[in-house]
Amino acid sequence: MSRISDMLPRHFGPYGGRYVPEMLVPALEELEQGYLKYKNDPGFVAELADLYQNYCGRPTPLYFAENLTRELGGCKIYLKLEGLAHTGAHKINNALGQGLLAKRLGKTKVIAETGAGQHGLASATVAARFGMGCTIFMGEVDVRRQYPNVYAMKLLGAEVVPVTDGTRTLKDAVNATLKYWIQNLRDTHYILGSALGPFPYPVMVRDFQSVIGREVRAQILEREGRLPDHLVACVGGGSNSIGLFHPFLEERGIRFHGAEAGGRGLNPGDNAARFGSTPKVGIVQGYKSYFLQDDSGQLQNTHSVSAGLDYAGVGPELAWLYDQKMVEFAAITDVQALDAFRRLTRLEGIIPALESSHAVARAMELAPTLPRGEIMVVNISGRGDKDIFITAMELDRENWISFLESEVRHGK
Amino acid sequence: MENRIDRALKGAGGIQLMTHVVAGYPSLEVNAELIRLMARCGVRLMEIQIPFTDPLADGPTIMRANQAALDVGITPGHCFELCSALSSELPDVGFMFMTYANIPFAMGMERFLHQAAASGASGVILPDLPWDETDGDYAGAARQHGLHPVMVISPDTVGPRLDAVLRRASGLLYTTLKVGITGAGSSIGQAGVDYVRNLKNKAGLPIAAGFGISRPEHVRMLSGLADVAVVGSHIINLLDREGMSGVEDFLLACGRQG
Repeated sequence: MSRISDMLPRHFGPYGGRYVPEMLVPALEELEQGYLKYKNDPGFVAELADLYQNYCGRPTPLYFAENLTRELGGCKIYLKLEGLAHTGAHKINNALGQGLLAKRLGKTKVIAETGAGQHGLASATVAARFGMGCTIFMGEVDVRRQYPNVYAMKLLGAEVVPVTDGTRTLKDAVNATLKYWIQNLRDTHYILGSALGPFPYPVMVRDFQSVIGREVRAQILEREGRLPDHLVACVGGGSNSIGLFHPFLEERGIRFHGAEAGGRGLNPGDNAARFGSTPKVGIVQGYKSYFLQDDSGQLQNTHSVSAGLDYAGVGPELAWLYDQKMVEFAAITDVQALDAFRRLTRLEGIIPALESSHAVARAMELAPTLPRGEIMVVNISGRGDKDIFITAMELDRENWISFLESEVRHGK
Repeated sequence: MENRIDRALKGAGGIQLMTHVVAGYPSLEVNAELIRLMARCGVRLMEIQIPFTDPLADGPTIMRANQAALDVGITPGHCFELCSALSSELPDVGFMFMTYANIPFAMGMERFLHQAAASGASGVILPDLPWDETDGDYAGAARQHGLHPVMVISPDTVGPRLDAVLRRASGLLYTTLKVGITGAGSSIGQAGVDYVRNLKNKAGLPIAAGFGISRPEHVRMLSGLADVAVVGSHIINLLDREGMSGVEDFLLACGRQG
C-alpha cells in the first residue's frame, strides 16, 4: 500500500481544487490543517478504529455470492456488505471520521447535505453519539421520496431543512449547506458526504472511505490468496467507489468498474450519467470535474430512481481516473437497477439499496463474459430498507397502496 | 479611455451606491427600464449578474431570480446584449458583469473577457474563481481588456491571502461586513469601522461594502467610511413588492443619506 504522505493532494490531474468565495477559504484552511494534524495522530486513529469496530460493526463481511455466481455462469462474485454497517450504508465511515475531527477542532455543531438520506442519517447519528447539534439540508424532492430517513434523522435529534431552490435535489442541498456554513463558520463543521467539493474534502472523504478497500484487500487475500480481477461500485458523487478502488489503484491488472445512473434513458435530464455521450468539464460547487451541463455551463437536471446517484457532478479523483482510462464507467437504467434489485434479493437473500443495485446490474452484465477463474468484488454500498416506498410502489403497487391507505385510516 | 468605474469614483462627493440586476429577471425589458431608473437616481455603479444554476454566494432572493431568468431561457449572450445597449445609452454608468466560474469556463475566459469588454462593461466580479487556482488568476487578463477585476473578500481575509488579493485587485475592492444587532438597531460596530479604515489604507483602493443593505440608514452607517455601499437583493425585493416606484423612493432616500 502506498505510504501516506504529509501533503494532501489538492488536485487530481487538472481536477479538484478549491474554487470557493474568499470567505469560505479560512474554514477550509482550518479543516485542512486540522485533518493533517489528526489523520495520523495515534489517539485519533485509535478512537476511530474503535468506533468502526464496536459502533459500526466493522469489518463488514466480504461474502461469496455462490448463487449469483452460478446463475451468471462467469467469474466468481464476492459482495462487500457495507449495508451491514451501522445506519445501513458506507456513509457512516466518513461521517464518523469527520465528526470525530470536528470534535477535535472544537466545533459544537455539524451540518450536512443529503440525497438519499443515508449521509444525513449517518451525520445525525454521529451528532447524537458525540452530543453535537445537527442540521441536515435535503432537497424537497428527496424529502418526499426518502421520508423514512427523514423521520430517523429527526428521531436522532437533527433538524431537517427541506431545500426548495433549483431542482430541489442533492446539488441544491449542497448549495444550501455551503451557504449556511459561510454564515456559521466558527462553531460549525460541514460534514460533506461525498468525495467532492472544495479541497480538502475529496481527499479526506476518500481516506475515510478507503476502509472499505483496505478490508476487501485483507479479506480476499485470506479467502482466495490473491487480489481480485474486477472491482465494481455505483458512482453518484463517488465516495463508495473511490473508497473501494483507492487501496487497489497501484496494483496492475485490476479492472475498476463504475456504474452510473442511466435513469430513464439517454436524453438530457433523464439520467445522471456524467461519462455518457460527451463528458464536459466544469467548475461548480467548489471543484473542477465533469458535470452534466449545457453549452453555456448551466447544470442540467438529472434523474435517477435512486436519490443517491441523482447528481450532476462527480468526484475529481474519479474524473482523473476516467481520463487515464483507469476506471470504466457504464450507465445502468432505472429498469436494469430494479431488475438487479429483485434478482439479488431472491438469489442471495440480500436486499440492496437502489444505488447499490446499479453496481449489481453492472456486475450482471460483466460477469457472464468473464472467465470462471476470475474474481469480482461488488460493493453493496447500502441496504435496501430505506427504499421500500419506491421499490414497493414499482414492484407491488396495489398491495402497497392499500397498505398505505389502511395505515392512514388507522392513524386517523 | 478612462475606465468608468474610476471616473464614477474620482472626486465623488459622499458615498456611491452600487446596485445589482439579475439579467433576465423579471425580463430583459424590465432590466433595461430599471437600469435607466437607477441611473436617473444617480447610481453610477451597477452589477449585471449573468444567471447561473448554482449561485454559491447568493442568498435566496438572488438565487430565485437566477432560476427564474434561466427558466425563460436567458443565456450569457442576452446579458452581453443588455449591457451593450445600456452602456452606450448611459455613458456615466460603470457596468460590472457578476457571475460564477463555470460561465467563463464554459465560454473560455479570453472570449468571456473579450465579450464583456466589447459590450461596454468596466469590470468583472467572479466570486468563486480564486487567484490561487491556475485558471482562476484572471486579474491580469481582465485588465488587458480594460476591465477591473473586482475582488470580493471578507473580514476573515487576512495576512498573505489579503496581500495576494490586493496585488491583483484594481478599480474597487468589494468586502462583506458583519453587522451586529444592537438596541438601537443594526450597527457595524467599532470593529467594523476599524476594519474598513485599515483595509482602505492598506489597499489604496476604493472600498465597496455590503452586508445586505435594506434601509437608507444602512447607507448612512457606511457614509464617510466606505466609498461604495452595495445594494443587492433589496432592489429585487423592492421591485417584486412595490415595483419601479418602490425602487425609486428607496434610491432617492439613500441618496439623501449619502
